[in-house]
Amino acid sequence: MNAFEIAATALLFGFVPLGVVAVRTRTIDGLVALEAAGVLTVLVLLCFAEGFHRSFEFGVAVVAAVMSWASGLLFARFLGRWL
Amino acid sequence: MVVDVLLGLGVALELLCCLGVLVMRTTYDRLHYVAAGTTVPAFLILAAVLVREHLSSGGLDAIAAVGLAFLLNPVLVIATARVARRIDGLEAPKA
Repeated sequence: MNAFEIAATALLFGFVPLGVVAVRTRTIDGLVALEAAGVLTVLVLLCFAEGFHRSFEFGVAVVAAVMSWASGLLFARFLGRWL
Repeated sequence: MVVDVLLGLGVALELLCCLGVLVMRTTYDRLHYVAAGTTVPAFLILAAVLVREHLSSGGLDAIAAVGLAFLLNPVLVIATARVARRIDGLEAPKA
C-alpha cells in the first residue's frame, strides 16, 4: 500500500463518529453529519484516485463534491419545511 | 517525504473535525467543525495530490473537487444553520 491508500483507509474511520451522530442525535444534527460525510467522501475519493493511479477517478470526486452539496441543500430545505 | 507529511496532517485534521462533530453538543458547534473540514485539511490533501500529479488532468480535477467543496460548503452551512434556528424557534416569524 502506498501513502495515499493508507490515508484513504484512515479517512474511512471518520465515518464512524459521523454515523453515531446520525443515528443517536436529532434529525438536524444527522444532516450536519451527512454534510461532513460528503466532504469526507470527496477526500477519500481523491486519495484513492491518486493511490490507484487512475486519473479518471478524480472526476468522481468532482461529481461527489457537487452532488453532496446539492443533496445537503435539498435535505435542509426539506427539514426546514417539514420539521 | 513531503507527501507523507501533508497527508498525515490532512488526515489527522480531518479526523479531528469528524470527532468534533461527535463531541460537540449543539448543532451550531457541530457546524463549525463541518465548515473547518473543507478548509485546511482538504487543502493539505490537495497539496499532497499536486506534489505527485502537478497540473495534469488529474491534478486539475483535484483542484476542482477541493475548490468546489471549499466554495460551496459555506452556502450549505448557512442554510443548515438557518433551518436549525427555525427548528429551535429562534428565528423571528416572517412579516
